Amino acid sequence: MIKRTLAFTLAVSLLVLSGCGGAKPATTPSPSSGGQAQTQPSGSTEPKKNMKLVLYAGMMEDHVKGAVAEFEAATGIKVEWVRMSSGETLTRIRAEKDNPQASVWYGGPADAYVAAAAEGLLEPYVSPNAEKVPAQFKDPNGYWTGVYVGLLGFGYNTALMQEKGLTPPESWEDLLKPEFKGQIALANPGSSGTSYTMLATIAQLMGEDEGIEYMAKLHEQIAQYPKSGTAPGQMAGRGEVLIGISFAHDIVKYAKEGMPLDVTFPKEGTGYEIGGIALIKGGPDQEAAKIFIDWALTKEAQELGQKYGSYQSLTNVEATNPPEAFSLSEVKTINYDLEWAGTNRTRLVEKWSKAVNMQ
Amino acid sequence: MAFPAVRRGRRQPVEPVVLVTVLLVAGALWLFIVNPLFQVMKQSVMTPEGISFQAYWDVVASERILRIFGNTLVLCTTVSLIATAIGFLFAYTVAYVQVPLKGLFRALAILPVVSPPFLVSLSAILLFGRTGLITRGLLGMENANIYGFGGLVLVMVLTEFPVTFLMLIGLLQNIDVSLEEAARNSGATRWQVFRTVTLPLLLPGLANAFLLVFIQALADFSNPMVIGGNYMVLAVQIYQQAIGGYDLQGGAAVAVLLLLITVAVFTLQRYWLAGRSYVTVTGKPARERTQVRDPWVVWPLFAVVSLLTLVVIAMYALIPINAFIKLWGINWSFTLDNFKYVLGLGMKPIYDTTRLALISMPISGLLGMVIAYLVTKKRFFGRGVMEFVAMLSLAVPGTVIGIGYILAFNKPPLVLTATGTILVLAFVFRNMPVGIRSGIAALQQIDPSMEEASINLGATTQQTFVKVMLPLMGSAFFSGLLYSFVRAMTAVSQVIFLVSAKYNLLTVAILNQVDVGRWGYASAYSTVLILIVLVVTVLLALILRLFGIRTSISDL
Repeated sequence: MIKRTLAFTLAVSLLVLSGCGGAKPATTPSPSSGGQAQTQPSGSTEPKKNMKLVLYAGMMEDHVKGAVAEFEAATGIKVEWVRMSSGETLTRIRAEKDNPQASVWYGGPADAYVAAAAEGLLEPYVSPNAEKVPAQFKDPNGYWTGVYVGLLGFGYNTALMQEKGLTPPESWEDLLKPEFKGQIALANPGSSGTSYTMLATIAQLMGEDEGIEYMAKLHEQIAQYPKSGTAPGQMAGRGEVLIGISFAHDIVKYAKEGMPLDVTFPKEGTGYEIGGIALIKGGPDQEAAKIFIDWALTKEAQELGQKYGSYQSLTNVEATNPPEAFSLSEVKTINYDLEWAGTNRTRLVEKWSKAVNMQ
Repeated sequence: MAFPAVRRGRRQPVEPVVLVTVLLVAGALWLFIVNPLFQVMKQSVMTPEGISFQAYWDVVASERILRIFGNTLVLCTTVSLIATAIGFLFAYTVAYVQVPLKGLFRALAILPVVSPPFLVSLSAILLFGRTGLITRGLLGMENANIYGFGGLVLVMVLTEFPVTFLMLIGLLQNIDVSLEEAARNSGATRWQVFRTVTLPLLLPGLANAFLLVFIQALADFSNPMVIGGNYMVLAVQIYQQAIGGYDLQGGAAVAVLLLLITVAVFTLQRYWLAGRSYVTVTGKPARERTQVRDPWVVWPLFAVVSLLTLVVIAMYALIPINAFIKLWGINWSFTLDNFKYVLGLGMKPIYDTTRLALISMPISGLLGMVIAYLVTKKRFFGRGVMEFVAMLSLAVPGTVIGIGYILAFNKPPLVLTATGTILVLAFVFRNMPVGIRSGIAALQQIDPSMEEASINLGATTQQTFVKVMLPLMGSAFFSGLLYSFVRAMTAVSQVIFLVSAKYNLLTVAILNQVDVGRWGYASAYSTVLILIVLVVTVLLALILRLFGIRTSISDL
């Protein structure tokens, strides 16, 4: 019955459409960026002409786009991808549980991967290339493997800082200085993985209750809580605020694009994200998915990032970090407990919301 | 029940055609509106341990959520009042008053309609933010704050008033001139005519406009997301909780709360509208309206409308301008990089968005008119429920409908995820209420004697619908049609979860660019989108005009 309504309305719509002269080109241009990939079977591995792959990506769009183009050229596997935030990806994978549409989740903080693994949404896969990744950057059960590491930092607007005659913050405590009141941007930890990393860092560094107390004090200094974790860096770069708390590699990226930005790290120790990659349970094209994961863990694939403006430090021990990247060895970090961060997220965010009395 | 004055208590057996149509429509509404929502509700109570209403307890017990609830009501009421007032002011000025530049006002009121909603937020930040052109550049303010309640009201009013304008202008043009002239000839002043004839005739239209804006404002999440600052509303809370907090259950529970408000508003409106008759289209020839020429009326109205128009121009001119600028506020040099980047991402989203919106347009328009006709002119069991369910899809926050669609259509018998079909369906059932609203408003103005005459002369229901009612509803129908195309092109929240690696849509791509702060890319993408919308709507309007059908957009 419904089919008939649909058929009827469809027929009418076709009539209207043809009446409107809505002729459209019959050929569909190939999706995303992979236009040239098929005609270019020059790759080191044997070309997999008929294989395809659907990818949910959490990194910067230009990075995904570049990485996918290189992967397609190297393997001949056709990749369809869409970029989403970690929360969006998790919700999507959860909703698609009975009939997964994608098979690889690539990029974005690993605490979301931890949550997904706990819900049984991921398939363990230990890539042969994962042995080049130190144990601290991968899941002991093989549910996810780290591809890059990003450090939390304070991005500050160099021009404004100079104009106001202020010194950039060097510690978490410095952020509470009166001169920074209303001059700091931090993403909402509810929506942003970046910002949640900070919340979890503070809670681990100061203890949960003291940490939440600190966040409430910091709230008085905050101008705006944007949704996305890279936005504070942008806002500082534009001069919307003086200081934006973001991942250092994002701040470096914006600085290289011409924004008056520089980065400092808190001397008490900062937190970090591990960008993950994982196999989605029950997803289609599992073989192509494994090829992609193997590829993403190689030295070459990891080093691609900087070509597309991503300056994280890399997890493959053989890979050379971009010169702009800050590595864990040069910055004081806390011993970030990812498992704890991933499993306590809902509770911690709720506690924070209450404490800062978000309207 | 709802419109007793229109019906005259005729009792006649239900015709088979009507019965079949009712059943088909009911089936479609059940499958594509009720079912997905049911799936979301199921999600809100299903835990690994079994059924639990804990999420609802958390909502009711949370002081914070209750405050967000209050915020939402305050915001929606403010926005709806101002937007309806401005829309009416525009409509009245263009229809009744002898002012210059009418064409321009009409054209400009369309602009906010043809662009994704959150773009106004983007231009508001470009203009009034800390580094804003006006706040920092012109006024030298250091700590201007556009984020929050004030900014939200500004942005949402500018986005929503054209909707009310387009609705009200259609109704005003349909008011029979002879009614007003009769009042004038009996010695009433212009003001008296306005107050006692025009305004009462327009009340259902104003109520509809207010309701429509209120509901849109309730469900709007992209503007509060971009410019809301710390002013939290329910639609954003749902997103934050479901997507950010990984707490789909809690998010779904908040969504149910939002639904309750919508139900309350909708019921209130129905109750208020019931028992009034607004019959003005009588089938007798009508003459051109003589326009108000009194300078004390003309120039103040002209001044206000021009000023608003100027604001709207500024808001929209910024987007294409920003598309050619390297880094707003820092590096003002001209660049084509933004366009190079977004076109380099591929033409497929651009092509797919247009194609799917075009396919959904006639389906939602026709379905809307059929439902409008059924609920106003026909009597059958469950008529009120049908209207309610059909309107509901407009009210449900898009993200919830989106999640519902994934949950409902990702398993047999209907596997639709990652197809174009699911996007078309989402567009159709989301935009159909617009067609229903304009259809109902138009039908309420049609004297039942015209339909009765047709049926008494031996015409069947289909013949009456196609040959008598549809032409009378023509302007409303085709305006609704174009509007539903535009809405499909600019839809965001309901498709955010339905886009896939195979089908990505322009608006979602734009929101992602705004989200990560790539305002240049977002502007370039938006410019492309607005161009497509303008070209297609103008083209369609011109073609319709060839067939002698005028749409409000065709007056461009």
